[in-house]
Amino acid sequence: MDLATVIKLSVSAVLFVVFLVLYCKRRHDAMEETDVKKAKKKKRLPFFGMLIAAWFFVACVVNLITGGSKGIGVEFEMFAPRVQIGGFSVAQTTVTGYIVLAVVAVLAVLFRLFAVPKFKDEPKGLQNIMEAAVEFVDKFVHDNAGDLSPELPAYMFSVAVFLIGCAVTELFGQRPPTADIEVTLSLALCTFFLINYYGVKKKRLSGRIKALASPSPLIMPMRMLSDCATPVSLACRLFGNMLGGMIVMDLLKNSLGGYAVGMTALAGLYFNLFHPLIQTYIFIVLSLTFIREATE
Amino acid sequence: MTAIAAALALLPALGAGIMMGFATSKAVDATARQPEASGKINSILLLGLALAESTAIYSFVIALILSTKS
Repeated sequence: MDLATVIKLSVSAVLFVVFLVLYCKRRHDAMEETDVKKAKKKKRLPFFGMLIAAWFFVACVVNLITGGSKGIGVEFEMFAPRVQIGGFSVAQTTVTGYIVLAVVAVLAVLFRLFAVPKFKDEPKGLQNIMEAAVEFVDKFVHDNAGDLSPELPAYMFSVAVFLIGCAVTELFGQRPPTADIEVTLSLALCTFFLINYYGVKKKRLSGRIKALASPSPLIMPMRMLSDCATPVSLACRLFGNMLGGMIVMDLLKNSLGGYAVGMTALAGLYFNLFHPLIQTYIFIVLSLTFIREATE
Repeated sequence: MTAIAAALALLPALGAGIMMGFATSKAVDATARQPEASGKINSILLLGLALAESTAIYSFVIALILSTKS
């Protein structure tokens, strides 16, 4: 234990105690204060000071125990590591993805078996939430893609749940399945299939080909190329975003050493929860927009 | 050499960043002028941002591929 560590530890400990005393005093004063807003504002500064001092103290202790950061850079792999299951070499993210699917499927079956039969005419509690969700998804798909079929909202909702579930696995320390190009490309190919399915269903094959050659037949190869670029762009967008979030989190964890205590939780709010939510929204909106483009 | 190539591949992020800022400023203008249309403006803005961002994401993926290959 060298001098710098001792100074850091003692300074943070003293600061913590000072802020704690200040906070207690302010809190005691606030009891008599009639203006609630003002009293709350006064308490805020000592509280955050206390929090930061405590964080610094814990980080110093962790650094002392683990030996601190050795300046490790980020080590990431473009493709997920492989695991052997029953003689097959399977990507690790595939296993995680199947676990997510299993959890979601079990939850869905439980809902269907235990919650749905109890539904009454007057919604209450859980039924309210589920009806609101179903109505919201139905309306959302209808607004974005028009009235195509009752199955489309269900598919889009499943994709959304899967993507969010995949993002949540990162909170458990796993590589998220969406940070693997196989998973995102397969989802994008599903979208590509749906685009062509609804396009052909709505306008027949002749209409779809006519739409491809709309201004002049000369432009048809270009249109076909841009159609084929759609799934690639969807897949790369999702993959790049998820991999970027993962790399930033890894960088934070590896390079900060002991100071990463609590920091990853703060940054994870954005990179593991908010960011995937936005990406899910964008994936679904783009899929629906492309589907509408093909059917109009 | 591959490191320089990877860094150069990230140049599109510049354009994407500037243009996303432009788009957002216009959206703010529009929302200030017509607050009642904010929902629609929001969804259009997000769609445009996603499309503008995708160039940056492609360059990011290409830079990753370049930097991991060596």
